[in-house]
Amino acid sequence: MTEPLSPFLESRPEGLRAPAFDAWIDPASACPRAILTHAHADHAAAGHGEVWATPETIALYRRRNPDWSGVARPLGYGERVPGDGAELTLLSAGHVLGSAQVRIETDGGSLLYTGDFKLRTSRTSAPAVAAPASVLVTETTFGLPVFRFPGREALEGRLVSACREALAAGDTPVVLAYALGKAQEAAAVLTDAGIATVLHGAAWKLLPAFEAAGHAFPSSRPYDSGPVRDGEALLAPPSCSRTEMIRKRKRRRVIYLSGWAVREASRSELDADVLVPWSDHADFDDLLRHVESVAPQRVFTLHGFAADFARILGSRGVPAEPLPDREERLAIPDSDTSASA
Amino acid sequence: MTAYRTLAEALERVASSRGRLAKVAVLAEALRAVGPEELAVGARLLSGSPFAEWDEAVTSVGWATVVKAAVAVTGWDPDTIRACASAIGDLGEAVSLLMPPQTENGLAVGEVDALFRSISRARKPAERGAMLEEALRRSGAVEAKYLLKTLSGGLRIGADVTTVEEAIASAFSADREAVARARRDSGDVGETAAAARTGALDAIAFRLFHPIGFMLASPIEEAEEVEPELPAFAVEDKFDGIRAHAHKDGPRVALFSRTLDEVTAQFPEIAARLGQGDGTWLLDGEIVAWRDGRPDSFFKLQRRLGRKAPEPELLEEIPAAFVAYDCLAAGGRPLFESPWGERRAELERIGAESGIVVSKVSSASSAAELEALFVQARERGNEGLVLKRRDSAYQAGKRGRAWRKWKKALATLDVVVTAVEQGHGKRAGMLSDYTFAVQDGERLVNIGKAYSGLTDEEIRRLGTRWRKTTLERYGPVRAVEPTLVIEVSFDSIQKSARHKSGFALRFPRIVRLREDKPVSEITTLDEVRELYARVSGEGADKPRSSGSP
Repeated sequence: MTEPLSPFLESRPEGLRAPAFDAWIDPASACPRAILTHAHADHAAAGHGEVWATPETIALYRRRNPDWSGVARPLGYGERVPGDGAELTLLSAGHVLGSAQVRIETDGGSLLYTGDFKLRTSRTSAPAVAAPASVLVTETTFGLPVFRFPGREALEGRLVSACREALAAGDTPVVLAYALGKAQEAAAVLTDAGIATVLHGAAWKLLPAFEAAGHAFPSSRPYDSGPVRDGEALLAPPSCSRTEMIRKRKRRRVIYLSGWAVREASRSELDADVLVPWSDHADFDDLLRHVESVAPQRVFTLHGFAADFARILGSRGVPAEPLPDREERLAIPDSDTSASA
Repeated sequence: MTAYRTLAEALERVASSRGRLAKVAVLAEALRAVGPEELAVGARLLSGSPFAEWDEAVTSVGWATVVKAAVAVTGWDPDTIRACASAIGDLGEAVSLLMPPQTENGLAVGEVDALFRSISRARKPAERGAMLEEALRRSGAVEAKYLLKTLSGGLRIGADVTTVEEAIASAFSADREAVARARRDSGDVGETAAAARTGALDAIAFRLFHPIGFMLASPIEEAEEVEPELPAFAVEDKFDGIRAHAHKDGPRVALFSRTLDEVTAQFPEIAARLGQGDGTWLLDGEIVAWRDGRPDSFFKLQRRLGRKAPEPELLEEIPAAFVAYDCLAAGGRPLFESPWGERRAELERIGAESGIVVSKVSSASSAAELEALFVQARERGNEGLVLKRRDSAYQAGKRGRAWRKWKKALATLDVVVTAVEQGHGKRAGMLSDYTFAVQDGERLVNIGKAYSGLTDEEIRRLGTRWRKTTLERYGPVRAVEPTLVIEVSFDSIQKSARHKSGFALRFPRIVRLREDKPVSEITTLDEVRELYARVSGEGADKPRSSGSP
């Protein structure tokens, strides 16, 4: 069933589609033409025919999919792309390097699709822009009021002091951080604090894309399964928490950087010692703030606590409804080339 | 006057310290910071219990009552609070994250104690709710968190009461063993802390009819683990019942459960039986359903649980008995420090005198012999084996290596997933709970439901599959196309009307995904019947060779 969210975005069983551009937005499976908001695997499926995204996202997409042979169409922030009766613009989303929100404007109104976003500043991505729109499709990964994160300085301070305390005690600081975005951000923070970093391969291989964007990592090196030297911190994705890479280090202090670190249970789930609720997503307050600044007539919520956040918005007089999450989407059929609704 | 916040913050530090020593150090510091007159209460609160272990008082505050108080204090609606609790995986933690900034003076330790006592005396949920709401209004986030965790019956900070014992010893330079003994005999970590501070631990003595902690066994996975030590161990069947201590002084009898609650009235036939004859003693053992001179299934005993006084019909239908396997005191003399061998001799003397059922003891000199004993125990309808070091003292309230238990999964079944639903905590929003079936001719018949065993990543990957193959939705449950085969293990199998197959599994968990296996090759109901016949000793209804390739 196809549900038009606005004349220019449809929610189909396979995902979100912008017919004016004959393109899918962040589709869960390969398609002829995809508009990608950022290069995280859950938004950027492999094997698209054509990819529209920021140059940074395209660079990261290529690093993650070295065999990709499709066509890239790099779009700078603010660059206007005309379509069939509509105009498309990518706006900064502040989530990770290259991340974008998608804005579609027509004479009959406008739509803003946030992708993943955050309002607070960071070292490797510009903060999200709030462009007014009549329809807002917002992510709601942390769409419950228990998810409120401290400010950036406080979080960076907690990371640095946890690492310093570990080093002082003779323990190896092990920082659990997602490979794209969080790891490089943490490496930059630790570099400034005079702590050298050893990066898991998944994060290391993305560094050239960050370096091309003007970020430097002079005291980082790739992990080589050898020892982590005194004074160094090891950075690994959370999925490595139970692997030998970490477990073989008997003297370790595991620092978990994630919005999910709000939950005490993540301590036992990831065998973590220090929980730092540092997220690349908007927290609950910022989700509300973004809705307020965009001032839409209608909101659709996506990912995480979509139904709860829609209910909370509704109780505040903003009509909102949840969209099915990516894992509920059907595969896009190979025959899909038509823009017809 | 000590602020409760001091204790709550200490508990928060305990949660985030790695290793027992670090946790003990934080607790010891907190104990020293509590004033002498509040030390008993402080020590209890640090161990996560509102009252002394022997105290029958309970703070039954239900989920709904806490949600209601949280609505009043945080201003969030019940749906949001419930969603938050599910997302965080702990209601107390979720409420603490929703707490507004503290405006009033915090609670003192003594006030928290008074709150718990008033709550335990209140008759109506509404009264308890009002008391809780008032306390929450005066709390900051960290106080609210530990207040609610204590009410919910568990701090889950990686420290238990024995960690607090160690902290007491460290804080007041007392002997670790003396602290443990005093806590065991007093049934109160608070009284113990106060006595340790003044060097009066020796004044605490064993009292009959005062509940005592239970010695617990550590699990083993296979016989080889204990093979080198086997000569030192006595071997007994592991009964599938309710662990209990029986205190007796002539006709007076009291039964205490693992939670140190008195359950005497629930088992009048046992109390009457043990009350016969003379004797003054404390026996450790198991309450089991009893039929034809041997233990019957735990599933039967379950129907006797949670009733204050059973009706005569139920007593007749499911009689219970006490099987004794240890003697902790005889003639007023405590035997905790005596080796198991001496206690056993005393137990056998009491058994011979009174006719009370006493467990049988055997020994094994090799893994193979132990394996044979295991099979025999299973054939008798018991869960497995317990091994007890003959030279070991009774370490009340501890899980040590002097006692070992061996249960092992009964078998594995290849089953197909027929329905899925959302899990809780971090798995909220993930379809992580699976109902599964075996085949009966052309039909699939459900036999159980498993919650664990898969990684988050596997669950997430399969989530897509379930959403695409949903046939029907019943509230939170999705019936799905039966296409995925999984291998499940379990501890025992029972007849049950709960599932269509007529059987139920105890502790089922997913061993692995069998995406390689077609549904036509899953376990058949006949194979399940044969398995049941084998382990229960009952004849199979319809034995037939299985056609599974």
